[in-house]
Amino acid sequence: MNTTGKRLLIVGLALALWGCTKPITEYNEDGSIKKIFHHFRTAAHKSLDPQKQFDSASAELITAVYDTLLGYHYLKRPYQLTPNLVTQMPELSEDGLTYRFDLRQDVYFQDDPCFPNGKGRQLQVDDVIYTFKRFADYNVNSFSYGTLMQGYIQGMDEFRTQTQKLGAEKTDYAKLHISGVKKTGPFQFEMTLTQPIPMALLPLAASQMAIVPREAVAHYGIDFKHHPVGSGPFRISQYSRRGEMRLKKNPNYHRTYPVEGEPGDLEAGFLKDAGKKMPLIDEVRLPLIEESQPRMLKFRRGRLDWVGVDKENFTKMAIKEGDSFRLIPELEGRFQHYYAPYLFSGYWLFNMKDPVLGNACQPEEGNPEDANSACAKRRARNKAVRQAMAYALDTDTYIDKMRNGRGLKLNTIVPIPIAGSEKDTGSKWYSYNLKRAKEKLAEAGYPGGKGLPPIKVEYAGTSTGSQQDGEFFRRAFAAIGVELQPQYQTFSAYLQKTDSGNFQVSSSAWSADYPDAENFYQLLYGPNGPPGPNHGAYLNEQYDALYLKSKYMPNGPDRYAVFREMAAILKEEVPFLLQVSPISFGLYQNWLGNMKRHMMIDAPYAYINIDSALKQKGVK
Amino acid sequence: MFAYIIRRVLYMIPTIFAVALLVFLLFHEVGEDPVRVALGPHASPEKIAALEAKWGLDQPLTVQFGGFLREIVTMDFGRSYVTDEKLSGLFKEGAWVSLSLTAPPFILGLLLNVALSLLIAFYRGSWFDKLSTALFIISMSISYLVYIIGFQYLFAFQLDWFPINGYSWGVASVPYLMLPILIMLFVRAGPEIRLYRTVFLDETSEDYVRTARAKGLSENKILFKHILKNAMIPILTNTVTAIPFLVLGAFLMERFFSLPGVGDLMITAINTGDFPVLKGLCMFIAIGYSVFMLLTDILYAYVDPRVKLG
Repeated sequence: MNTTGKRLLIVGLALALWGCTKPITEYNEDGSIKKIFHHFRTAAHKSLDPQKQFDSASAELITAVYDTLLGYHYLKRPYQLTPNLVTQMPELSEDGLTYRFDLRQDVYFQDDPCFPNGKGRQLQVDDVIYTFKRFADYNVNSFSYGTLMQGYIQGMDEFRTQTQKLGAEKTDYAKLHISGVKKTGPFQFEMTLTQPIPMALLPLAASQMAIVPREAVAHYGIDFKHHPVGSGPFRISQYSRRGEMRLKKNPNYHRTYPVEGEPGDLEAGFLKDAGKKMPLIDEVRLPLIEESQPRMLKFRRGRLDWVGVDKENFTKMAIKEGDSFRLIPELEGRFQHYYAPYLFSGYWLFNMKDPVLGNACQPEEGNPEDANSACAKRRARNKAVRQAMAYALDTDTYIDKMRNGRGLKLNTIVPIPIAGSEKDTGSKWYSYNLKRAKEKLAEAGYPGGKGLPPIKVEYAGTSTGSQQDGEFFRRAFAAIGVELQPQYQTFSAYLQKTDSGNFQVSSSAWSADYPDAENFYQLLYGPNGPPGPNHGAYLNEQYDALYLKSKYMPNGPDRYAVFREMAAILKEEVPFLLQVSPISFGLYQNWLGNMKRHMMIDAPYAYINIDSALKQKGVK
Repeated sequence: MFAYIIRRVLYMIPTIFAVALLVFLLFHEVGEDPVRVALGPHASPEKIAALEAKWGLDQPLTVQFGGFLREIVTMDFGRSYVTDEKLSGLFKEGAWVSLSLTAPPFILGLLLNVALSLLIAFYRGSWFDKLSTALFIISMSISYLVYIIGFQYLFAFQLDWFPINGYSWGVASVPYLMLPILIMLFVRAGPEIRLYRTVFLDETSEDYVRTARAKGLSENKILFKHILKNAMIPILTNTVTAIPFLVLGAFLMERFFSLPGVGDLMITAINTGDFPVLKGLCMFIAIGYSVFMLLTDILYAYVDPRVKLG
């Protein structure tokens, strides 16, 4: 190679190297700048089959590719349902049992080889009924049936039992039917409930109820979970489970951006795109970025449009002021930020069958239980221990020190944004009071903790975060003489203990399946005992009766009064130690529009917009 | 030679059997329970039993182990418990990424590190030798993670010479691999140059080197023709036995640079109890290691005529 050739090679390599780091502006066929939303995934999804998923990484992609009968209003709070695949919210019959649905007629599945000639066909009622059956099929849905639909729709539980008996091979949807789901026209159907249940529509907005075409399930078989075929706002244009997933706008998507919001939304610019056809962007790029450093570096260079901020980065970027948060002066104006409480409760659950902490006790034969019986004494003693621990827990300090202030102290098990939480009931949990804690411990017969055996707390993980948490609580309870022994273990080892009721205390949490207080109060409902979510086996007949009563009531003062009673029972009995409802804190670029954090819409790709001119200037 | 190879291949069988037994027992005794992980919290005993039956985990351990041995013979480890993906596809995709990441620094590093250590050995005792020794010891004392974080911050974020992270398939992957490869070259340099320098210095005190010098051969000729050839056995051992591990990639590198390689796949499989993936990868490495050990022995005979296989 001559000298000129060598020089050209060097310049070429240098340009290639330089060019590869600079984002290239991409254009649509009509010459407009392509609006590409750069976000990321922190974990690889497990299944994109709506009825066979339960991890959030899968749900985020499913909501982008598939559609549900109902959805959540993007702007209004508290969260409320809106029509999605239906023309209007379903009508309820006078007896409160039957909902009538009218499907939109402009909805088509995306083009896919599973359809004749690869052309996506119209979505019809048969697809909805097929999806209901798949959701209820024991052989298909292992995860979400019990939580979302059990007992709601006439004939659905029976259908599930039959599929369980028949097994996957012999189950034939042409012969098995759900009596409560009836087709009344090509685009109309009815859903009949077992009894009037005001929250029966909520599961229809869950990603597990996203409508799937039977052709795709048949065509892809076991690989359907990696070949999603939906009618949602995007289709997958690049599938790389552990690399970069790319979503391309579905030009035939039927929905438009909301035309109304809540007070302040107009001023905040959330209604700029009112009435526009969604999605408002052309593409979404979702690389898998598991570590926070590259995420933050990319964001600071403008190559990611939105990031959630973790504990370590939060301290470098933001400051808590009272109940609000702001960015440090160097970042103000460079980025936008948001914060909003998750629909999530963190708590410790006591095993109520534990001899030291629980309230279960079999009275001796021939000695009916009274206030002086051994059982009653034991119950009172153990309850005093639990109450002492509730008094000894300084949640405010925990939130401040362990979560950088990013959390709200819980006064009931229901996260604050949900109707029926402490803001509606006015309920209060224990306040930090070491003196009362010590008194309660002495009342239990363990003055200064003397005689009380060490208490084991089960953690589902061995991470530094878990160990820091465990250490904080170990110190907190040592202040009243209670010795805590945190047990750090693998996830499955934790599940083996908790689901079998073989533990003393478990560090637990619950994230809303739907935004209703019932979803949280069911955690203490007696029949939901281990291996169900009430794995502490709390049993209180009065509580259970109130729970059942509340379950079938619409939200409002009467229902909140029942919740207040339930919260009071739980406060007296202390089957758990309430801790924190974490706050989500995130940053987004100045060019990103419509970024209003919605905890039931984890992936708001269809709603967000990008100011391309601003982005071109801002990306470094 | 042929008889030797046959004998060595037969020796591999108990070795691989022992590895298989160890992997199997470790998985059953200390690993995550795949059924629990797959079903998540609050799974009913019936569901647990059904999934155990589906995956054959309800069978006696001896039957399960027998199935594992059959999979080794057929090299068909089925599908991932977690994603139902075919393992052949998963491995192929991951191995390509991992090899793109590890092979270039492996080959380049070998050439550079051998050359540099020869040079250092040539100037043994000089300020160059002392300075390089000190620098390499310092570089070896710093954690791998520090290099990743530091280089990513400096060269990708501050200087913008490389993409911060990401991966594209085909030729487009080159820009994404450059910084990780540079880091690996840098990290490998310290221990390898120290090792090779010692090997070369040991050789320089041998009689044949003295004889060569007495015969008036140039230092270059002594170094490159005689010392290099005689030092090849430890270099070969160090190099060839590392080849099977190239496919495993570099877990931290893959994680920080978002490279979908086998290292990250393996860690995820450990965390989720994805036994088919773990089994496949472990056995692939075990067999690969045995084969490359045999290859090393055969190469000894070519490099050093004094070595007789038989």
